[in-house]
Amino acid sequence: MYGTGLLKGLSVTLRHMIGTFVTDVRKFPRRYFRDGVHPTRSPEPYLHGAFSIQYPEEKVPMWPRFRGPLVHLRDPETGQPRCTACGMCERACPHGCIKVEGEGKGKERKPTLYQYNVGRCIFCRQCVESCPFNAIELSRFYELACYDKDTIWDLPRLLELGDKEEIKEQGQFWGET
Amino acid sequence: MSVQIPPTERLRTDTIQINMGPHHPSTHGVFRMVLTLDGETVVDLEPRFGYLHRGIEKTAEERTYVQNVPFTDRLDYICGITNNWAYALALEKLAGIEVPERAEYIRVILGELTRVMNHMLAIGFLWNDLGATTFTPVVYAFRERERILDLIEMAAGSRMMPSYIRAGGVVADLPEEFMPRLQKLVPHLKRFIDEMDTMLTKNEIFRARAVGVGVLKAKDAINAGISGPVLRASGVPYDIRKVDSYSIYDRFDFEVPVHTAGDVYARYLQRLAEARQSLRIIEQAMRDIPEGPVTSLPYKQLSRLKPPKGEAYGRIESPKGELGFYLVSDGSNKPYRFRIRSTSLLNLTLLREMCIGHKVADVVTILGSIDITLGDVDR
Amino acid sequence: MENVWTIENVWNAIGMALQNWLAGFLPAWLVTLIMDLLVIVVLLAIGIVAVLILSFLERKVAARAGDRYGPNRWGPYGVLQPFADAIKMLIKEDIVPHVADRFSFNLAPVIVTVGAVMTYAVLPFGRNMVAANLNIGILYFAAVGSLSIIGLLTAGWGSRNKYALISAFRSVAQLITYEVPLALCIICVVMLAGSLSTQDIVLAQQERGWFFLLMPGIFILYFLAASAEMIRCPFDLLEADSEIVAGHFIEYSGMKFALFFLAEYIHLFAGSAMMVTLFFGGWLGPWLPSWLWFLIKTFVVIFVFMWIRNTFPRIRIDQVLKIGWKVMVPAGLVGLAITGFVDKLIADTLIAGVVLFVCNIALIVGVSYFMGRAQRQKEMAAEGAALR
Repeated sequence: MYGTGLLKGLSVTLRHMIGTFVTDVRKFPRRYFRDGVHPTRSPEPYLHGAFSIQYPEEKVPMWPRFRGPLVHLRDPETGQPRCTACGMCERACPHGCIKVEGEGKGKERKPTLYQYNVGRCIFCRQCVESCPFNAIELSRFYELACYDKDTIWDLPRLLELGDKEEIKEQGQFWGET
Repeated sequence: MSVQIPPTERLRTDTIQINMGPHHPSTHGVFRMVLTLDGETVVDLEPRFGYLHRGIEKTAEERTYVQNVPFTDRLDYICGITNNWAYALALEKLAGIEVPERAEYIRVILGELTRVMNHMLAIGFLWNDLGATTFTPVVYAFRERERILDLIEMAAGSRMMPSYIRAGGVVADLPEEFMPRLQKLVPHLKRFIDEMDTMLTKNEIFRARAVGVGVLKAKDAINAGISGPVLRASGVPYDIRKVDSYSIYDRFDFEVPVHTAGDVYARYLQRLAEARQSLRIIEQAMRDIPEGPVTSLPYKQLSRLKPPKGEAYGRIESPKGELGFYLVSDGSNKPYRFRIRSTSLLNLTLLREMCIGHKVADVVTILGSIDITLGDVDR
Repeated sequence: MENVWTIENVWNAIGMALQNWLAGFLPAWLVTLIMDLLVIVVLLAIGIVAVLILSFLERKVAARAGDRYGPNRWGPYGVLQPFADAIKMLIKEDIVPHVADRFSFNLAPVIVTVGAVMTYAVLPFGRNMVAANLNIGILYFAAVGSLSIIGLLTAGWGSRNKYALISAFRSVAQLITYEVPLALCIICVVMLAGSLSTQDIVLAQQERGWFFLLMPGIFILYFLAASAEMIRCPFDLLEADSEIVAGHFIEYSGMKFALFFLAEYIHLFAGSAMMVTLFFGGWLGPWLPSWLWFLIKTFVVIFVFMWIRNTFPRIRIDQVLKIGWKVMVPAGLVGLAITGFVDKLIADTLIAGVVLFVCNIALIVGVSYFMGRAQRQKEMAAEGAALR
């Protein structure tokens, strides 16, 4: 019969339409109002059922390896930042987002200026891989909207963000360290 | 009083020139076509691109080999993994680097997942160009793409620009939750492809629009350098994974589907069939993956890599066609020449010949069936 | 004039009560004038409320078909969304391109909207609720519904834009083509019902059974012709976003665009309502009030249109015209002949009904056989085309 392909297509769409209502009923009242279901992370992937997340109320947690903006880490015993302003990250960055200056010699070297241009960063993680002192890592923030394209973050800001993150060691989730 | 027009005097009509400009809902990015129309029939077509040119090839000459890896992600931004792989292959040939077994299997798994995702997306956007305006097939394809991107994010840290495959292996080993999730995902993807098949393949309107439209003859395709699903849908059984086998593809048992009609419908069927074959490969790879190291060149050595003088051409079968990198080294740690043999640009060579004689609506369909990504066309 | 206050009769009762109150202190001619104006206002209000509900429903149904939720931020479950859309369209800047023909440009939305709204006059919303019970009801509907074609052509020409012009050419071709099968199906219905008036058609279905059961082939033909007339998918190439960005209203913005938008949904509602009247028994139905049945049936038909829109791609203009002239007109003529013979030759209505049903099924099978054969020939010719 000539029209059967059309009817098959219609049946698939109808099945999806009914499927969205059925999941709503099954998961009510959590669906619209509280956190809970994250469709991509459901243990069994499903074909029929609503697949959206109501953003500000329900947020999907990022995977541990997610590459966000740069943060600095502290030494757990002394509480001091581990960065020694060696400049390896500045050289490794493909775009020139980092500018480092330091003073002092040997083990006592500390950074005086550390500027990180969030707007230019492409989150490739090469700075982290090149750091020999385990001092920086990429965080998991993604709500980075701002009013100025050349937003520069400096060292106190980076340390403060690093304290907020749960990363303690560089490469913690990457199978290194 | 009626006027008799002498039969020898033909009706003088005029052609219109229309600009399907860079801002257009369905040119897959910023791509411009200047069409000359006679009524509804296309008489001439002139593609003009370059709106997304970013100078990747020149910029790459100023950066070291490892700093160029994030640039390769941004070429064909939908399939980031395969771009990285092509570059890694070229560099491995140039510098003579060996890759451990586990890394090869990981590369194959992620590469084939990317192929499935790309073909589903291409089919979805083909339907968008045909006029399913409320995006329903696109949304279904995007839903599955979300699941696959979630896996890639779990392994690489970023969904679209993974920078995960480098010369020598991959950046890091797969996390523990990857394999169980993948094992649940592969049967689900099979069911999804079957559902898309049911919904889309036998649709009479689609067949009326797509059969016989944009026919590409096999010898024209070979002469113009077309590759990928477009070539195989025109009857030429050329797949780099079988012909010039790279990595470990000779260990897997899969077929290369071929269709002989060469029109939009054949390309659609081709992509569906290739997606199914990719799932077969992933199953075999999941079964056979060994343990072991995942890279033979950690970052500290790779960032100081100075390949010997020479040149190398590394190519892979990316989801859109043959993607190749031609690297020339002059002994320093920056490439002397970084040339990208881009898939989509060469697939567009015969757009004019394919479209002449068809209607305006078909131009959009044919462009959608070639499946281009502007990042690759303009680099 | 007795006033019966039942839920079936509530709108008529309100009208009667108002008329009686007005007649108390106004001369008779003024009362009639005011009541007529009130009827017009009510029809317009129905139209606008229908547009609000339909535009919202369209987005929700499209979202649900795609595993998502649709607008759900404004108001509970998003019901205030159409008001947000209306406000947005009203506050937009009204741009007229300086090379455009001002008179045609401004006139076009008016013609299109007027053509759409005038059709509401003959829709039977309930048992005694027709605004104008003309005894040429259906003919009026078909005639006035074609006014919009002129409006579309004016819009395309007046915009002075090649895309709009292409769209105007296509629209005239398509809409004129599909008037013919539409008219043929209407004639079949009218033959069975014996009258052109919409109320009489509904009452005829009360005796003979709903016409879509008697004539499924004619119903499918009418369905396709009506979707082409209302520019709904799969025939919506006139406003194809993917080729000729928005078609004939590419240059319109603000209130004029809102008028086109309004006209489209008003036409959709009117077309579905007419389909319900002709084939699904209008306001007939047990137990619920008649106007409620009418609304339910109309919305079911509208849901089917939206369902189809979310599933199918669109058909190309030359294929649209081919199907219109080569498939639908002959099928319509054959259906007309069948209906005529069966209705006049067979006296018993039950046997006539069964014979008509069987003949219609044969018509559907025949048409699908011929179309399938044509499609198969084309595909066999395309097989192996690349290797030749």
